[in-house]
Amino acid sequence: MLPMLLAIGIAVFLGIRTDQFLGSENIFNLIAQAMPLIITAIGQMFVVLVGGLDLSVGSLISFTTAILALDAPGYVTIPAVFLFAALIGISNGLVITRLNVHPIIATLAMQYVILGITRILRPVSGGTVPDIVIDSIAGSFLGIPMPVFWGLLVILVAWKLLHGSRFGLHLFAIGGGVANSTPDAARNFGVADKRNILLAYVACSCFAALAGVFLAGRIVSGDPNVGLLFELDAITAVAVGGTQLSGGIGSLQGTVIGALVLALLSNGMNLTNVSPFIQTAIKGGLLLLVVGLQTRKKIGL
Amino acid sequence: MACLVEMSKVSKSFGGSKAVDGVSLRLMPGAVHALMGENGAGKSTLMKILAGVHQPDAGDLFRDGQKVSFETPREALEAGISTVFQELSLLANLTIAENMFLGREPVTRFGTVDRKRIRRETRKALAVLGLELNPDTLVSELSIAERQFVEIAHGIKADASVFILDEPTAALNAADVEIMNAQIRRLRAEGKAVVYISHRMDEIFGICDTVTVLKDGKLIATRHLSGMTPDSLIAMMVGRELQDLFPPRGQSSSEAVLALEDFRIDPGSKPLSLHVNKGEIVALAGLEGQGQQQLLRSLAGMYHLSTGTASITGKALPLPAPKAAGIRQLQARKVGFVPEDRKEEGLFLGLSIVDNIAIGLSSVHAELSIAHDYQQKIAETISSMNIKASGASSPVGALSGGNQQKVLLGRYLVAGLDMLLIEEPTRGVDIGAKTEIYKLLRRFANNGGAVLVLSRETIELIGLCDRIYVVHGKTIVAELPAKTATEHQILNAALSA
Amino acid sequence: MSAIVKHAFLQRLLRVPPAYLVFVILLVTLWIARPHMLNANIMGIFIRQVAPLGVLVLAQLLVMRVKSIDLSGGGIILLVNYFISSGIFPGATIPFYIGLSLATGIMIGLFNGWMIGKRRVSAVIVTLAVNIILVGFVQYLSSGKPPGDVPSYLNEIYNIKWGPVPAPVLFWFVLTVIMALFLSKTVYGRYVTAVGENPEAAHFSGVPVERTVILAHTLAGFIAAVAALVQTASIAVGSVRVGLDLPIMAVAATILGGVVFGRGEGGVWGPFFGVLSFALLFVVMTTFGIDDPGKLIAQGLIILLAATFYGMRTTKSN
Repeated sequence: MLPMLLAIGIAVFLGIRTDQFLGSENIFNLIAQAMPLIITAIGQMFVVLVGGLDLSVGSLISFTTAILALDAPGYVTIPAVFLFAALIGISNGLVITRLNVHPIIATLAMQYVILGITRILRPVSGGTVPDIVIDSIAGSFLGIPMPVFWGLLVILVAWKLLHGSRFGLHLFAIGGGVANSTPDAARNFGVADKRNILLAYVACSCFAALAGVFLAGRIVSGDPNVGLLFELDAITAVAVGGTQLSGGIGSLQGTVIGALVLALLSNGMNLTNVSPFIQTAIKGGLLLLVVGLQTRKKIGL
Repeated sequence: MACLVEMSKVSKSFGGSKAVDGVSLRLMPGAVHALMGENGAGKSTLMKILAGVHQPDAGDLFRDGQKVSFETPREALEAGISTVFQELSLLANLTIAENMFLGREPVTRFGTVDRKRIRRETRKALAVLGLELNPDTLVSELSIAERQFVEIAHGIKADASVFILDEPTAALNAADVEIMNAQIRRLRAEGKAVVYISHRMDEIFGICDTVTVLKDGKLIATRHLSGMTPDSLIAMMVGRELQDLFPPRGQSSSEAVLALEDFRIDPGSKPLSLHVNKGEIVALAGLEGQGQQQLLRSLAGMYHLSTGTASITGKALPLPAPKAAGIRQLQARKVGFVPEDRKEEGLFLGLSIVDNIAIGLSSVHAELSIAHDYQQKIAETISSMNIKASGASSPVGALSGGNQQKVLLGRYLVAGLDMLLIEEPTRGVDIGAKTEIYKLLRRFANNGGAVLVLSRETIELIGLCDRIYVVHGKTIVAELPAKTATEHQILNAALSA
Repeated sequence: MSAIVKHAFLQRLLRVPPAYLVFVILLVTLWIARPHMLNANIMGIFIRQVAPLGVLVLAQLLVMRVKSIDLSGGGIILLVNYFISSGIFPGATIPFYIGLSLATGIMIGLFNGWMIGKRRVSAVIVTLAVNIILVGFVQYLSSGKPPGDVPSYLNEIYNIKWGPVPAPVLFWFVLTVIMALFLSKTVYGRYVTAVGENPEAAHFSGVPVERTVILAHTLAGFIAAVAALVQTASIAVGSVRVGLDLPIMAVAATILGGVVFGRGEGGVWGPFFGVLSFALLFVVMTTFGIDDPGKLIAQGLIILLAATFYGMRTTKSN
């Protein structure tokens, strides 16, 4: 509830303080601005639910734009993007579940590997992404801008996965056990924990890739830095939305609202001419605040 | 009549010690089977084998005459064996309905979890037990009794025919106990087999048909309860000679080292008083989980609801003890706390014997002072305690259980303390090491130290200690001189409280 | 019998930090491929470049020994660099700068430690968040542009050489010796070992676990400020990008040096050689024409491989 009120509060404040905010242009712009974060945060939520974390999504977003901006047709690059994302998710998941590496370390390492590859592919921003990608974001259908449909589709898919399938229920179950320091609890019920955790990382990567596709359509080029710090924004959004970083508790609507809060905050700060650098600092402070409010039992990573 | 489950000559060891040793058990339909024995007699281990939590080292399981083996609790449940453990296994962040169907949820044509159906079936399973809980309630919102009923409903829904109830009434109030007993009778009437573990004699005689008594992991006997009395049952559970394990008792003075007055473990518990004198070893005895450990741990800051006054050698110990600094507060008053779980809470398994012992000497100093090696002291300790290892620098994880326990004890004995608070001084330790540990503790007391010890092995407390406090329901219900105490007496004191 | 000896030998081999092996391999590679590079003066210059990293590694290894991590070093370096290069303290003397920098580092470290040790917040999240707050703050103050010049005497100090040994390298070496003595000779060193091995058991042995973690982070902040001073002296100008990738490289070098979350087998010298390996790695990569992106990939892979190496070992021992 609280994040919802927060979102409404910011919206009301901006509606009063600035003339532009309530204009339909700004609202649609806001949706388009918020979309990559919403998508990434939803993906991040899958791994947070099982008590994990994925720091590689920011790099993966940049990587996705770089792939799309390669000089190749869309029917090659678009599937390729999701193939790579799935591979990255699988390797994150394998390293974490089979090789016993802490999720934060595994995905931090992955972040650097992907960042390096991205900078080789595209040292500075440039190139053009396939028209189909651009059209699917810039265009409109029945007079409604495309990003609205993106949002609906993504939320529908995520809803199905998280709240409408055995997979989602099993993620909650695994996370509930992890948060209670009984990591075997779900397995004792016959839940295939390792496989589901791995799939959570795959889902996280694929959502991040989708966010990358969306961003690529908006900036119409590849940019090695476009995803910078996205992982932290996504984690902030998830935490603002009431998902427990220890696992097992959270909801899709919470995450979406959390992402909207962050997007509104950015939008508002842009409208009120807050320096982008201060915006970064404020987001860091927000992350510190929401995560600091969730206490844990053990000291550590 | 064919039995539903047969366990044949089942054995299970943990580390070096045999928890269950060649036990056979047959469960008949339409009967409630009591499983009795002292703390640590092997009841829970035996049931965990049946429930698929542990796998037996030897022996066979038969289900309806077929040989079976369970790798996981899930497999046991699928074979119709449902368990309600003391420590609950439900996932608190899910709803009742989700817990009931977790791992084999029905799905609709669209691949969605069929919530309507699981809700309906959950409601049905709950209704069988006469419970009117909303299937969408989160388990975290249920009382402990309700959680136990949900676990039973889980078994009913899985069409189980064998129900294992491990002290289901330990945490329940009288009204809930009545409901629980009614449920058990109902299960029996439906031809299910129920295994019932409890320490409450009235319940055993009220609802059980047969009883199996275990002792030290071995089967003593299986009898019909109709031919038994509470006294004869207790006699079966206890019946053992005091072995010549224990050193002679010493002379205690009347100078109190630890004194508790009007002490409450938590605001809801009855006040208690307790004192431990110089040169004395005092026990906290009783049935498992009655507050002995909470009492001891309150002093070290692990439970911070305690009130009352505590003093150590006449100086007040502030209560409740602070969480982070509780151990150090005791340490500053020359009291050591020896935790029960040697591997998790006690030792640094990857570090050497020297490091493990020296940390107790180092930790009384300020951070920036120079750390000494204490070579002389530690070498003396290792040899005087007869710790067997390839060298003082070998990692503690490589030692046997008994030697690990001695290293742990050595950390506190070398530190020149006035008093030790000890949980389970000989858990998972072989008989030779036990005798040695008893001697070490007695030597500590004879040199003017005071010891407060708790153990699940009543016999150990009788042999080792000078005085025994019997703890029940988070308070002290009796005080006995150990010299004349018997297990029977202690059990009686606890059960009649 | 021989099987046991062999096993013990293997065990011992597994305990050797990968850094030593990597260092030797790189040295041999360089010796074969570019023998002329192996001269004291050239190597001195290359090693001098990693001196700030080497200092920062001392901070990282300390917090990693208590099962934590510190990724806020980049922000501290940036902030210190800004203090010195922006001219916001006109006429300030060296002692003032040093005092201000160290005090800043201590305050940030204390905050990190308090959040991690007392509030038990995830160390990665806290230090990453602190890092972006500091970075955003400095970039705001300097409007995203390099602030200005660093007083020249700092760079002069940096360029001092004793024979082939540059001053920063000697400084780094001396700090490493101090850290080695600190961890091996003080009670605090014992606390660090105990907390890293088993925080529960440490608590029951009377070790003040929270205080140990808080102090480790405070010291890490202090050391990061020292690293910032060395880094600032080395580049001699103000910058808004300097040192941002140092924390992650410090993590990589520390893991490579055999210090992973709670396990300190590599001691202080393992990570020292981890840093030297990085210095050589950069030389080798540069001579083979591999650019910065390649270095990023190498860092990531090193962290991954080293962490996997230890992760697999813990699974085996369980």
